[in-house]
Amino acid sequence: MKRLYSNKMVIITLVLPAILVFLFAILAPICLSVYYGFTSYSGMGEAAFVGVDNYKALMKDETFWLALRNSLLLAVGFICIQHPLAMIVAAVLDKLQGRAEGFFRCVYFIPNVISVAVIAYLWKFIYNPDFGLLNNVLKLFGYQGKINWFSTENAIWSVLVVLIWHGFGWGMLIYYTGIKNIDPVLYEAASIDGANQKTIFFRITLPLMKPVIQVNVTMAVIAALKQMETVYLLTNGGPGNSTQFTANYLYQQAFKAFKYGYGNAIGVVFIILCLAVTVCLNKVFAEKEV
Amino acid sequence: MKNRILATLMAVTMAAALLTGCGSNGSADGDQSAAGSASKQQNTVSGESITLKVFSNLPDRKNGQGLVEQLIIDDYMDENPNVTIEVEALDEEAYKTKFKAYSMDGMPDVVSIWGQPSFLDEVLEAEVLAQLDESDYADFGFISGSLDGFMKDGKLYGLPRNTDIMTFYYNEKIFQDNGWEVPETYDELLTLGAAIRDAGMIPVAMDGGDGWPMAIYLTDLLLKITGGCSDDISAAITSGDFSNPFFKEATELLVKAADAGLFQDGYDSQDYGTAKNLFTNGQAAMYYMGSWESSMALNEDIDEEIRTNIRAFTMPVVDGGQGKSTDVAAWNGGGYAVSANSEVKEEAIKFLNYMFQPDKLSKYGWENGVGMSAQDQTPFMTGEETALQMNFIDILDRATSVSGTPINDCGPSAFKTAIESEIQSVSNGSKSVDDFLTMIGAACK
Repeated sequence: MKRLYSNKMVIITLVLPAILVFLFAILAPICLSVYYGFTSYSGMGEAAFVGVDNYKALMKDETFWLALRNSLLLAVGFICIQHPLAMIVAAVLDKLQGRAEGFFRCVYFIPNVISVAVIAYLWKFIYNPDFGLLNNVLKLFGYQGKINWFSTENAIWSVLVVLIWHGFGWGMLIYYTGIKNIDPVLYEAASIDGANQKTIFFRITLPLMKPVIQVNVTMAVIAALKQMETVYLLTNGGPGNSTQFTANYLYQQAFKAFKYGYGNAIGVVFIILCLAVTVCLNKVFAEKEV
Repeated sequence: MKNRILATLMAVTMAAALLTGCGSNGSADGDQSAAGSASKQQNTVSGESITLKVFSNLPDRKNGQGLVEQLIIDDYMDENPNVTIEVEALDEEAYKTKFKAYSMDGMPDVVSIWGQPSFLDEVLEAEVLAQLDESDYADFGFISGSLDGFMKDGKLYGLPRNTDIMTFYYNEKIFQDNGWEVPETYDELLTLGAAIRDAGMIPVAMDGGDGWPMAIYLTDLLLKITGGCSDDISAAITSGDFSNPFFKEATELLVKAADAGLFQDGYDSQDYGTAKNLFTNGQAAMYYMGSWESSMALNEDIDEEIRTNIRAFTMPVVDGGQGKSTDVAAWNGGGYAVSANSEVKEEAIKFLNYMFQPDKLSKYGWENGVGMSAQDQTPFMTGEETALQMNFIDILDRATSVSGTPINDCGPSAFKTAIESEIQSVSNGSKSVDDFLTMIGAACK
């Protein structure tokens, strides 16, 4: 068997499918994106070469920067709100044991099982100023006004709540799995030494969860940057561009405005950003590990 | 040696699997396509089985225009047993995206199109639509000028399905019960809106989340201010200069309506369905939408007391404006075309012509109350039309002029995207009128 795996033909045939998938499904589209980013292609007809004009226009495009700001805001929301909460809930779930543990694990994961389209429409109705659940609940508490949750000022926060809520289950589940993998002997030893729950969490759970946190946070930041479907269905970037996100803006420019070349330029900048953020996060975590 | 044989076997098996996985489809497709092409050409001649692919923007095949389209397709297949028609239907946005993909990869034989520059200019530039012979349609009863949007350089590339009229739908019973009158001026409309708000109802349900209904509202106001400015709109889009004062005046009137609470709270983020539901469930007294929604009067899902009392009026006149009450925001938008590279082009054009025979689209459309056709529908009046249908006939009969293509569809797609997004910002006050006009001007360049 060992000799079989050292045979070059076997190695090539085993690696070839993955290489082909990478070449044709990832590398080739990226190369095409880079090429089309230098053209004024509309998606139909001929693609005229325009040099770096698309990139120059992009640097001056206020909507692009607004979309990028919103994407980064979401990333911050994920890191500062969703993940600490997810970790705490995972730690509490771990302590619950028994049926309650399984029940709440399912409950917290339900939003991830529901289709994005359903989630978006559900929240559209919840936020509706005239008949929405949220305003009706506020009425029960005596508030008689109508809050427009999707006004220009409120919309981005309303969208962030939905996105943070929707992604919560995944984050929680990964942390939960991480916690479950910690050797219980460590907790027993700490308890014998007289450590309280807070000390156990900060001195045992948290340090041992570092690799999980690294993966989870990196995934969350990338998810924030490429957020598209929920926003598209919930607000489509509106009102105006107040809830515009980078990936949604890319879609609008490429497929609605027929500015395929410009859309590809956004895509290229987007890939560079995602790579830069991933490298930065890896460095941050690597430094902390030292 | 044994291992070498095993390794070679593995390599051969995997390579074969890869090649069949990647290659067989291609070659099969290629064979099918080649065979299909040959057989289709032969079939056209011999009258044997032909498959026509129709790509439609009407996904609801059981109601409204989708039903009408399906009825005609079924008729055609009944009359031509050798023809099978395969329909692929997507809603508008998904449709336009896939249309673009098809334009690069080969179009279905018959496609839905829009006779508006924002859609058609780029499509015609890509040369994906077949030219039609205008003289073939001399006896089809097309309303004068309705083919114009589907022509370029004097050549015809598609046929219009509808005459779309933008109106305020209103609930006549609610109006009568409250002593409200149909407004004759824009100021009266705003006063009426305030009275409706005071009565605890939503004055006008507006699909502001989509942008285009408000852009048509703006077109409506431009018509009422100028009495007709389609040339000025085209000139502004060409130059990217919207400094002409009437653009500012019309936009300010839109902002004034939004400020006065004429539309529902959060109108700028609410979609088509939500706005329609507000009206059809009686929460809103009016609904700003096109004549294609006139089938509401026949929709049994809507409460009878509401659906039988739906009527329509057009945008009231603006004080000091040159437009009359009979100048109407109307245009010929959606239609059909044949793919330039269709392998069964002859049959596709035959089917297209069949659809537009006066007793098909027009008649079925009329019978199903799906709005006004681009062809003369008077021969199909039965005397059993709904009051709403008669309302629309009256509006069209009395029309002294029409706006033509709405402003958002007069320019390139980039302009359309910009105006439909920015009109939300200007109407809700998060952008000034001047900034709005500057931004839509910039999108034209």
